[in-house]
Amino acid sequence: MFNDFSLELESGRIVGLLGKNGAGKSTLLNLIAGLCQPKQGSMEVNGFVPFNRNPNFLADIYMVPEEFSFPSVSIACYVKAFSPLYPTFDNEKLKSIFAEFEIQPSSNLNKLSHGQRKKFLIAFALSTNCKVLVFDEPTNGLDIPSKSQFRKILVSSVTDEQLVIISTHQVKDIDTIIDKVVVIDNGTIIYQENTENITQKLYFETATTLTDEDKVLYSEKCPFGYRVIRPATTVAESSIDLELLFNAIINNKITSPLTPQILVPLTGEERGTSTK
Amino acid sequence: MNSNKFFSFSRFNLLLRNDILLNYKKYLLTIAGAFILGFIVIYSNMPKYIQKDELHWVFGSQKYFQVFIMCLIGLEAFVGSSFSELSNKVKTSNYLLLPASTFEKYLSKFVIHVIAAIILFLIIFWIDAHLARYVTINNIKDTNDSVLSYAEKEKFVQVFNYSMLLIRNTYPTITYWSWFEGLAIVFGIFSVGMYFFNVKLFFRKLGLIKTAISLIAVIYLGVITMTILSQLFYPETKWFDISKNMDYRMENGLFNIEYWMYLSAYLVSLFLIPLGYFKLKEKEL
Repeated sequence: MFNDFSLELESGRIVGLLGKNGAGKSTLLNLIAGLCQPKQGSMEVNGFVPFNRNPNFLADIYMVPEEFSFPSVSIACYVKAFSPLYPTFDNEKLKSIFAEFEIQPSSNLNKLSHGQRKKFLIAFALSTNCKVLVFDEPTNGLDIPSKSQFRKILVSSVTDEQLVIISTHQVKDIDTIIDKVVVIDNGTIIYQENTENITQKLYFETATTLTDEDKVLYSEKCPFGYRVIRPATTVAESSIDLELLFNAIINNKITSPLTPQILVPLTGEERGTSTK
Repeated sequence: MNSNKFFSFSRFNLLLRNDILLNYKKYLLTIAGAFILGFIVIYSNMPKYIQKDELHWVFGSQKYFQVFIMCLIGLEAFVGSSFSELSNKVKTSNYLLLPASTFEKYLSKFVIHVIAAIILFLIIFWIDAHLARYVTINNIKDTNDSVLSYAEKEKFVQVFNYSMLLIRNTYPTITYWSWFEGLAIVFGIFSVGMYFFNVKLFFRKLGLIKTAISLIAVIYLGVITMTILSQLFYPETKWFDISKNMDYRMENGLFNIEYWMYLSAYLVSLFLIPLGYFKLKEKEL
């Protein structure tokens, strides 16, 4: 699925992994977690080859999948059974996230709604304090207040030693918390950039009209005029409109990576994915 | 080499604890179910009437051996429920991501679904056999209307003990399984158990049925191999009629087919354990 694929992610970042359906996002997450084996090339996460599934590697990575299944036990029992397997698990952190999400430890997991179960899984994942946290569509099924809580809790609980990878189609749910955007399409990274670099080089705004003189990289019609991306020419920075940026990238309006030194195509044995 | 990545005693304990915490209700229900079913199987095979030919109704070692084998099918079904976490993609993902080595995961299932299951099975069977005998003797009906004492009735059903299973034949004299045969039977049962133990590692859906079909295929393969060998070395053999060659005994007193089956029983389990381990190790989503 992946060709000439090279990706290096550093800890201390919250990475938004974006792509169309079938672009390879879930496959990439599975490769990172060691659930699949690369057919070619090499891959390293935290100094481990993921597919070897070294227990020390598994103790430092937690994946919140889009679909999940729980045994028919109470939350307290689940935590009692699984938390000791994660050496850095923080029970106090779990309690405080439970309080924020209004989760009752005595509840049976299979009697909770999908959204509540997802909140539990997010709380558990964050409490493991694993160095790599992988979220596949974390906000699917969450109500509006919970999405906001998720952003708040994630930002406050992630440390500089942790790397968070969020794969999602709900870009608006995460556009304020990510600090790196990676877009993949047909198994190739077509864009990767830190958000601070994006805001330095691109300007996002809503314009009522567009003229031929306007330097517009990409625009989309909206009820009040146009959502546009322009080259940043002034010191003023704008908030990233992640959905617009994604559409611009997918439509080849922003074609090349903004910082080509990050994307280094490798050949032969070096071909693969590396997250550090 | 860092052995911690293969096995850590504390991590293994946590994995066992994890399994028991999550599944203890299922295990308790299984034990209760095995106890009831075991009793039903043993009791239903015990005599209900005393007739003229008393010897015919004595429930002894060979009958116990038969019901023991019948109950073993239940044990094999439980063994076949190992690795239920691999029944769908979501559960598989959760299981593979558990922070433990493949060896620890495989061993923890083996300890619970094979070692602990065998120990509990032997205890449950022993209790069931004694209980079934007690109930049988208290309810046995004498069709001859001769008033028999409890002590006399006791003779119709022998008291069960595991040494009975070592008896190969009681007529005309008591003979025991040789160590080679006895071990082969144990290994044979163990091999079938390992076959079922690995079911979920090879098949995601209808694993037990597919395994049963595979097992039958393996047995037929054995028969065909023997047939081919018979055809090659004994030209008088017609088609699958290999029974006439049963006259040929080997130096150790076994028929060639027995020897071949026993050797298979010894070797198959040794092959299936590492095969299952590597299958789990290379499991992909």
